[in-house]
Amino acid sequence: MANCLIPDHYPNQIDITRTPLAFGDRAVPRLNRELQNKTTLLTRQRALRSLCDYLHDPEHIASCIEENIPESLKELLSDSDAFCRYKSAECLYVLSCNSNGRRAIVDQGIVKNLSVLFDDKEVMARRNSHKAVEMISEFSFGSEGIVNLNLIKTLVDKLKTELDDIRDLILDTLHFCMQVDTSQALEAKAMEVFTNLLKHESQTIRAKAARDIFDLSIPLEGKNEALKLETIALLVGLLKDQDSVVRCKAALAIEAIAITTPGKYGCIKAGAVPSLVALIDDSLSEMRVNALKAITCLAEAPEGRKALLEDVEKIKKLISDPVPIVSKHAAISVRIITWKP
Amino acid sequence: MAQVLNQNSSGSYTFSSQPRAVQQRKKYKEQWKMQPEDQLNQYGNIMYDRRVIRGNTYALNTLPATSQPDPIEIQRQQEERKRALARRRAKEQARRHTPEPIEGRKHIPIQTELYLEELSDRVEEVDVDVQTDAFLDRPPSPLFIPAKTGVDQATQILEGELFDFDREVKPILEVLVGKTIEQSLLEVMEEEELAALRKQQREYEELRNAEKVEQQRLEEQERRLREEKHRRMKQAADVLRMEKETAEKLAAKAFAKSYLADLVPSVFNNLRENGYFYDPVQRDLETGFMSWIMDSTMEELNSVMVGRLLLDSVLREVVAKRSQDYVELIEKFKEMADQPPVVDELTAQPINEETNNNLDTTMPQEDTNGEPNEASNTGDGNEGNEEMD
Repeated sequence: MANCLIPDHYPNQIDITRTPLAFGDRAVPRLNRELQNKTTLLTRQRALRSLCDYLHDPEHIASCIEENIPESLKELLSDSDAFCRYKSAECLYVLSCNSNGRRAIVDQGIVKNLSVLFDDKEVMARRNSHKAVEMISEFSFGSEGIVNLNLIKTLVDKLKTELDDIRDLILDTLHFCMQVDTSQALEAKAMEVFTNLLKHESQTIRAKAARDIFDLSIPLEGKNEALKLETIALLVGLLKDQDSVVRCKAALAIEAIAITTPGKYGCIKAGAVPSLVALIDDSLSEMRVNALKAITCLAEAPEGRKALLEDVEKIKKLISDPVPIVSKHAAISVRIITWKP
Repeated sequence: MAQVLNQNSSGSYTFSSQPRAVQQRKKYKEQWKMQPEDQLNQYGNIMYDRRVIRGNTYALNTLPATSQPDPIEIQRQQEERKRALARRRAKEQARRHTPEPIEGRKHIPIQTELYLEELSDRVEEVDVDVQTDAFLDRPPSPLFIPAKTGVDQATQILEGELFDFDREVKPILEVLVGKTIEQSLLEVMEEEELAALRKQQREYEELRNAEKVEQQRLEEQERRLREEKHRRMKQAADVLRMEKETAEKLAAKAFAKSYLADLVPSVFNNLRENGYFYDPVQRDLETGFMSWIMDSTMEELNSVMVGRLLLDSVLREVVAKRSQDYVELIEKFKEMADQPPVVDELTAQPINEETNNNLDTTMPQEDTNGEPNEASNTGDGNEGNEEMD
């Protein structure tokens, strides 16, 4: 047993699918070296696996950025191996969960390389790249970068064909991007796509589509577009949805569209008033606020005011709501409804 | 050769020549022969050089002290050489040659063998080389095992004395589990952080959306109010403008009325004075009928005048003729008076009848026998007279 011979083979690795991390400061340079290994596919794959876990610790991110790990990952995004592509996208996603990581990704222009993966035939690669882009779009610097790259049109087109869980991510990305700029989305006929998604069977997608309609309806062209496509009828239908988030977002979209006079009349004609009044007692404060705002908008039209005068008492009760924003908007709403020329 | 050797005649037995490239041996003898002789063996072969001493030096017949050779001998040699050259030239001349080509052609060497072969100046060469085999790879050095020293000792170890798995595995497991837990905790914390961020984001968005809608609503309200104001102002301006217009129109109307009040009668007067108002029948009578009736009256009068003139002329003519006839008659009577009176009675009767006829205007019918032209003229005149009546 005890032997003075030096063994001629090292012990087997415990997990052969990942590279053992070097100690301390040596870990990142070694990983980077192995990521850049052009000859052995297995080395790259193992390094990616280890890196993916390693990046979860926010303490490691700074050293990774210093060692230029994002650059190596950027190269790997166009690797011929599908595993390398999707794993590197996942690494970028984990990296983008950190503020410094996001900034590094945007600064080095990796978003463009990520967007190439949108057309990948590997589902995992697409999903991870969308996840990363969504995470990047969550902060303003990133969403501006995405808008500047003119990715909105691509994203809207993908929305028509992608899988449901990826659609979910795309809707989030578009939500953040449209807070920066809506003109590109309007040009890409996003309103039509969102309107079609309102009929989707998934609750989250319906809710997110309604929320995106709200974002898109902030400028006047968006409101007109929504009127033209008869989005209102669908949104009013969604006010009676089982899911509270869907109802909430539908009310949100309605209030944005009902800003203009034709929008108001469109909503009143579609029968939005009784559905909205039914929603003001909802347990979700956001729902109450949105319903109140929609009611306020509709009350500006004489017909709406006439219909709502019957329910003023119900709304007045909300002025004493514990949530400050609800009571504030309830007061505004009552003032508008009881206004006399 | 002589040239080469003569270059350093001062030294006793030294030989040197300028270095030069070895000339390629020609392939064909003919050409080789054509070369001048002294170019062929430019290098000297010291094996045949008389100045190089070989063999025993005891029985050596030394060269004469004078380095200068005998001039007579040189001359003889030169003559001999010249003779040999002349002889060779004569021999060359005597050789049979191919006849000279005729004018305008020239000889060209061609191959007449059965198989053609490439002709070239170069002698064929083949490169052949040889290389030894590469060295074989050096076998790896065997693992160095130091020679065993000392004396072997043995200790008996029973099962479980040295290695207890349960104990030994503990730290390893601790590390493994600890690492895994650490990693998973990190990820869970990350997710929790994200969820918290999302929640905050949602709350913020709730506020933001509500405020945004409120802001847009107020903007829209403001816009509507502004538009309404503009419209009202425009309406008021329109009303004012229209009132002003109406007043202006009324003033203009009054003015026009007053202006036109005395205009109409004066215009009518003026027109009437200028004869713009008239009775059409009267005017027609004045302009059309009266002129016509005047013209036709004048015509009638003219034709009456012409008729009268004609009648006058006819009367004149008749009267003239009658007077002439009477003159002739008188002359006849005068003659008759000289002759018997029977003839007088006869002639007197017709004269009376003729005068009666003349009053009835039937007289010209008798005259027509003699002068038809005049008769027609009188006829016309009579008709005109009748019409006149």
